[in-house]
Amino acid sequence: MRIENIKSYPRITFYVDGPLVSYFFLLLQQGVTVRSRTGISVASLLREEIGADPMMIEKIQSIILEGKPVDDLESAVIKDGSVLALSAAMPGLVGATLRRGGMYSSFRCAITYHETGGEHVQGEGRVQIKLFNLLMAELGPGLLQKGVILRSEDFIRFAAEQSTNFWKGFSRITIDGEPLSPGELPDSAWLSGKGEVILTVLTDRARA
Amino acid sequence: MDKILRIDVGAEDGPKATTMQVGEYAGLGGRALTSAIISKEVPPLCHPLGGDNKLVIAPGLLSGSASAMSGRISVGGKSPLTGGIKEANSGGQPSQVLARLGYNAIVLEGKPKNNDLYKIFINKDGVKISADNSLKMLPNYDLVAKMKSEFGDKISCISIGPAGEMKMASATVAFTDMEQRPTRHAGRGGLGAVMGAKNIKVIVLDDTGMTMRAPKDPEKFKDANKRFVDGLKSHAVTGQGLPAYGTNVLTNILNEVGGYPTYNFKQGRFDGASKISGETEAETEIKRGALPTHGCHRGCVIQCSGTYNDKDGHFLTKQPEYETVWAHGGNCGISDLDKIAMMDFLDDNYGIDTIETGATIAVAMEAGLAEFGDADAAIRMIHDIGKGTHLGRILGGGAAATGKAYGVERVPVVKGQAMPAYDPRAVQGIGVTYATSPMGADHTAGYAVAQNVLKVGGDVNALKPEGQVELSRNLQIATAAIDSTGMCLFIAFAVLDQPETFQAFLDLLNAFYGMELTGDGVTELGKKVLSMERDFNARAGFTSQHDRLPSYFKTEKFAPHNVTFGVKDEDLDKVFNW
Ligand code: SF4
Repeated sequence: MRIENIKSYPRITFYVDGPLVSYFFLLLQQGVTVRSRTGISVASLLREEIGADPMMIEKIQSIILEGKPVDDLESAVIKDGSVLALSAAMPGLVGATLRRGGMYSSFRCAITYHETGGEHVQGEGRVQIKLFNLLMAELGPGLLQKGVILRSEDFIRFAAEQSTNFWKGFSRITIDGEPLSPGELPDSAWLSGKGEVILTVLTDRARA
Repeated sequence: MDKILRIDVGAEDGPKATTMQVGEYAGLGGRALTSAIISKEVPPLCHPLGGDNKLVIAPGLLSGSASAMSGRISVGGKSPLTGGIKEANSGGQPSQVLARLGYNAIVLEGKPKNNDLYKIFINKDGVKISADNSLKMLPNYDLVAKMKSEFGDKISCISIGPAGEMKMASATVAFTDMEQRPTRHAGRGGLGAVMGAKNIKVIVLDDTGMTMRAPKDPEKFKDANKRFVDGLKSHAVTGQGLPAYGTNVLTNILNEVGGYPTYNFKQGRFDGASKISGETEAETEIKRGALPTHGCHRGCVIQCSGTYNDKDGHFLTKQPEYETVWAHGGNCGISDLDKIAMMDFLDDNYGIDTIETGATIAVAMEAGLAEFGDADAAIRMIHDIGKGTHLGRILGGGAAATGKAYGVERVPVVKGQAMPAYDPRAVQGIGVTYATSPMGADHTAGYAVAQNVLKVGGDVNALKPEGQVELSRNLQIATAAIDSTGMCLFIAFAVLDQPETFQAFLDLLNAFYGMELTGDGVTELGKKVLSMERDFNARAGFTSQHDRLPSYFKTEKFAPHNVTFGVKDEDLDKVFNW
C-alpha cells in the first residue's frame, strides 16, 4: 500500500511499546481505509498488499466483499471503493455457513458474492478494510504500521474515549513529524477541518 | 444414576416424592429422556398449565462424570408458548450435581391442591419438600441468596422468578452457575410457567458426600477425554475464538453480511453494531476488571462465557450472549452495552427468556409503545413484566401475544416462538430449520455437526440451493443426539472439522457405558428423538402448515441485499422424509 503519496491529510504517528497497540484494534472492526492496487483478486490483495502468508490466509475463514461472503478468492476482484471484511472461523451454524467454500455455504446462497465478469483494469484506489475478532491482533499491527486513513471524526471520537493513561503510554506522538508533548491532545477543530487523517502506529518491533 | 424422582404436586398432604427405577427409559439422557417422557406420558391435547402436563428436568448421559463439557441439563414439557413439545437446555452446576446424586430425571406432575408455594431440598439423604410462602414473587437472585443462608454455600439451585409464578409464556427455569448466581436459563418456550403451575419455586441440590460417577472402563475413558479436550483446545473456534470473545463475536460478521435483524427484522444492518460487538464487549470487560473468559459450569474447557461489570467495576451480570445482545440491542435499535447488560440481569432476575423478551419489546416498539433505540423504555417494559402490570402481562406472553394485542402484522415467530438472531432471508438454510423444527423458531435446533462425519442421509451438494433441506434435516438429527448426551452444543464446532474429535466423543460414551456406539447409532438416536417430538406435535394438532415462516418473509425485501425467503413450501415438507 502506498500511503505516502497522500499529502493533504495530517499524518498522526504513535510510537508505542508492544501491547498498547491493542488499544487501536477496535478501530479496525469499524473499518479503515487504505490505498491499494485495484483490479486485482482478493487473494492478491491479501498476499501482496496486506502481506498475509498462506498460513494466515488459511486462518481467514470468512471473507466478505461488498457485504457478501466470498468463496473463491482468486476470482473476486477488488475495485476502487470496495469494502472487504476479514474474520477468523466463527462459531455456530451461521459461523460455519459463512466460511468460504464450507459445507453449509448453500445456506446463504442468496447473498453469496459472485464476480459479475467484464474487464477489470488494474489501477490504484481506496479500499475499506474491516478486521474482526482474532484477526485484529494478527493483521492489525501490520496494517497500522503501514498507516490507515480514518475519518477525522472517527479519530476524534476514538481520542476522546481514551483515558489519560492511554496518552501517557506512548514514547512519542507526532503530527506530520512534529512531536506533541506528552498528554497533549491533537486539536479537534483543526483535525475536523481536514476531513480525514492518516493514522500510523509504530511498535518497538516495527522500529527495530 | 439409575432412578427417576417423581413429585406429585397434587398429593393429598402436599407434594409427595417417589423415587423409582429408570426402567423403560434406561439409556436415555437429556433431551432424549425429556422428550421420551413427555411424548409417552403427557396427553398432547392437554393445557400446558394443567395437571396433565409434566415438567421433566434431566441431566445428560455423561453429566456428573469427569467428562469435559458434560454439564448441560435439559428441561422438557408441553410448551405454554408453542403448544407443542419443548426441550430447552441450560448450563450451570445442577446437571453435574443432580447426576452425582443419582437421578436421571426429576418429574414434576399433577395439579396442586392449593396456592402454597414449595421448595424442594435434595441431598444424599433424600428429598425434603416444604411449603414456604415467604418465597412468593422473589426474583431469582434474592431467592438464591435466601436458599444459601438456609442451606449453606455448597448448594446449587433450579428455580423460577416472578414470571414463572405468574405463568407467563416467556418464563424460564433458572440454574445457578459456579458462583451460585442464577445466570443460566432453560429459556425457550415458557417452561418456567409449567414449574410455576406446579407451585414449585425452587429445587435446592447439595451433593456433599457424593462422588463423581465412575466409567465402566476408566482407562479408555481417561484417554478419550484427553483426546476430546485436546481436540476442543486445538480448534480455532473452541480453542480461541469462543474463549476470547464469546458467542457475541458473531455480531460484526452477521452485520457485515446484512443478516443481522435490526428494528424488528426490518433490515439486515445496524449502525451501532460495532458498539455492541463481542470484540467491544470483551474489551469493556477487561478494562473493568471482569472476566471475558469463563465457564458456565465446572468441566467446561471452552469457556465461552464471562462476567460483565458496571462502570464502577461491580458485577452486573454474566457476559451477555450474542442472542441477548442482539435481542435487546440491534433488534430494538439499542447500542448501549451497559443498558443491554442491565436488561440481561433483569431477564435473569425475573426469569424471562432474553430472546423472546427482546423480540417482544421490538414488536412493542413497532406498535408504537416506545421509539426504537429507547433503552430506558425497554428497561421499563422488563420491569413491567417482572412486576406483572397489565402491560407486563401482555409482554410476558411473548412476541406473538404482544403482536396480537397491539395489532402488529410483522411478528417474527414460528409456532408462536420468536426467531433468534439470524435473518432467514439472508441465511435461508437457517430459515428451513426455523420453519420445521418441532420446537418453534430455534437457532440451536440445527447446529453444525459435520455432514461429512456423520454421513447422515448420504452426500449432499452443499453448493446447490436444494441442499439446504437435506442439510437442515441432518443438522436437526445430529443436534437432537448431542442434546441427549448433556454435552454443550458448542463442541459441535470442533467435531465439525475434526473427525478424530468426533471419535473421541463417541469413545467417551462407549467407555463410560461399556457400549459400542457408532456414528450410525448417533444418527438413529437423533432420528428417534425427532420422531417422538414430531409425533407429539401431530397429536397436539400441528400440521405442515405450522412448518412455515410468517408470510411477510416471502414478500418483504430485506436490505441491504433485498432478498426474500425463497425455499418452497413443498421443499420444507420434505425435511423429515427419512
Ligand atoms: S462453552 Fe459456553 S455454554 Fe458451553 S458449557 Fe462452556 S461456558 Fe457453558
